[in-house]
Amino acid sequence: MTHTGNAMFVVRPVETADIPALEALATVVTPGVHTLPRSRATIERAVERSIASFGAQPDIPSDESYFLVLENAGDRSIAGTAAIAATAGSSGTFFAFRNDVLNQVSRDLNISHNVHALTLCSDLTGYSQLSSFYMRDRRGAGPEAALLSRARLLYAAVAPHRFSEKFFASMSGITDDEGCSPFWEALGRKFFQMDFLEAERMIEGARNRTLIVELMPHYPVYVPLLPGEAQAAMGQVHEEGELPFQILSDEGFEPDEYIDIFDGGPILQAHRNALRSFSHSSRRTVSGDACGDERTRCLVATARENAFRAVVADCICPELSDSVALDGAAMRALDVVAGDSVLCVTL
Amino acid sequence: MLVVRAIREQDLDGLLALAELVGSGMTTLKPDRKSLGQRVEIACASFAEQIAPAQRDYVFVMEDAALGKVVGVCAIKSAVGLDEPFYNYRIGTLVHSSKELKVFSRMDTLYLSNDLTGCAELCSLFLHPDYRQGINGKLLSKSRFMFVAQFPHLFSEKLIAEMRGYQRADGRSPFWDSLGRHFFKMEFDRADDLTSLGKKSFIAELMPRHPLYVAYLPQEAQEVIGRVHVDTAPARRLLEQEGMHYEGYVDIFDAGPVLQARVAELRSLRESELAIADLAAEEAAGEQSTLVATTRMQDFRVIAAPAHARRGRLALTAQHHELLGCRAGDAVRAMPLNPKKHHA
Repeated sequence: MTHTGNAMFVVRPVETADIPALEALATVVTPGVHTLPRSRATIERAVERSIASFGAQPDIPSDESYFLVLENAGDRSIAGTAAIAATAGSSGTFFAFRNDVLNQVSRDLNISHNVHALTLCSDLTGYSQLSSFYMRDRRGAGPEAALLSRARLLYAAVAPHRFSEKFFASMSGITDDEGCSPFWEALGRKFFQMDFLEAERMIEGARNRTLIVELMPHYPVYVPLLPGEAQAAMGQVHEEGELPFQILSDEGFEPDEYIDIFDGGPILQAHRNALRSFSHSSRRTVSGDACGDERTRCLVATARENAFRAVVADCICPELSDSVALDGAAMRALDVVAGDSVLCVTL
Repeated sequence: MLVVRAIREQDLDGLLALAELVGSGMTTLKPDRKSLGQRVEIACASFAEQIAPAQRDYVFVMEDAALGKVVGVCAIKSAVGLDEPFYNYRIGTLVHSSKELKVFSRMDTLYLSNDLTGCAELCSLFLHPDYRQGINGKLLSKSRFMFVAQFPHLFSEKLIAEMRGYQRADGRSPFWDSLGRHFFKMEFDRADDLTSLGKKSFIAELMPRHPLYVAYLPQEAQEVIGRVHVDTAPARRLLEQEGMHYEGYVDIFDAGPVLQARVAELRSLRESELAIADLAAEEAAGEQSTLVATTRMQDFRVIAAPAHARRGRLALTAQHHELLGCRAGDAVRAMPLNPKKHHA
């Protein structure tokens, strides 16, 4: 396998021609990652939906879902995928457990203490949801992993009216070698009466299905009543998820408020003002390459809603100017010419 | 010969001596002269009908007439939960079902409730260890149903009895260890002490306010819900014979069952009858034990005698008359001590 460190990668919307490559990717994905479409049919559906979404002109965020791929600009191979849905609950209500603190007070006994409880909630329904993050070569991944993950937010910064002001990403929780989740054993199993992986298969990784509200507990779950193993698994990320967890944490996402209802994995969430791709990005005009000045490693994304592209580039983007100097390779990968507008944020 | 009778003020010393033998675990009979004194006072006022029915606390003592000694105690509290909230868990059911997944989960839940507020409570039953033989325990426990049968209008709501919950051999309550402990951060005994000081409702403020799924609890804790302490099993059977039954209410600490019944459901309401006492020269041979009670509230008395009411008349010996404080020609209420055996 060639070292990818110096290869040029570009993130772009998925195309129909990518379907065979996506199908090949799906065969090697580990069981823990549940948001990626697996079958030919679901892949085709996701691709069609993404193409329609990019082509749509929504007034408000609705059921659009944007599917991006990471392409090796050298051999045109697909090195990863990532998606962002305009609203998490587009076809229903998105369910999560909220970490609540219930204060129990007895004035007469002069005792007061806090009890940690999980409440099934639909708070995240209106949020935009990051999902389907997958890198073919996770261990050898360089800056292109951050490019792939954050490109979604750069697109949201380019087209904010297509998205919510709030974003979240659900990370896979911990499971053992047999795919058994301690959190599921203590909770979901009691209601679903089936194994974790079986449940995930049946529900296709979704968290916005009516059957969730039919089956899951409506009253707060008092955490101290759960077995120690299940408590320990709460908010813990599956090792497959460590890379995206790190990238999104650096971006400004917070993990403490919500966890997944099935495996207890962390749900990272943030208001866009807290995200670097929004608050620290700047819109700049592309100028021809220059030499001499200090180069900064940046994520650079096209500022157009269609034919969106994003790359990692060492560019010259002085603080006091609104232009950015890109090299030829970057301009070709982005399909921009001097005078075009791009969005830059430091890596 | 033993008689169960309405308590009198001069019984305080005897009651106190009895309470010394009770030990921990019984919250309403602590050997404390002041609180017991108050209780006796209220009980006397109750039998004298000097206080409102809802505030009454009918305390009965069992006396060994030969020795003039108090050897047992039991009580009926007119209404629980009117001064401070009375809490129980109610076992409810929630069904979670998905046609799509073909899953149907029937889940037991624990709801913190005050549903039993206003019910009369059978409580404070204790029999001196030296007298735990023969039918003494039955007489003591069941005498209260004779009182209810005689004065049913005083018990408009249900009658309840809280039973001590299951404990392991080491005295620990699996239910408490799995549930209450997490919310009180104190040992069961300490919680129990607070309860006896009348602070149970304060403790309940610390309990989970939302319904709990029983399935969250460890298997051991699930299994003891509604189960009585080994020592309490006989007492439970006695009450069940009289028409009390478990309807899914349990103690919030140890999950011991609450037995309950509407007054009309009690055996004593159906099977007891009024009769005229006749003087018999000697005890009838071969008769089953019968509970015989007087019909006055003041100085209410109950004995167990081998006798059988026939055509509205009941033959009792002079000694029985003396124990009951009645004379030939007085009305008495009678009921077989044991329910009729129902053969299939």
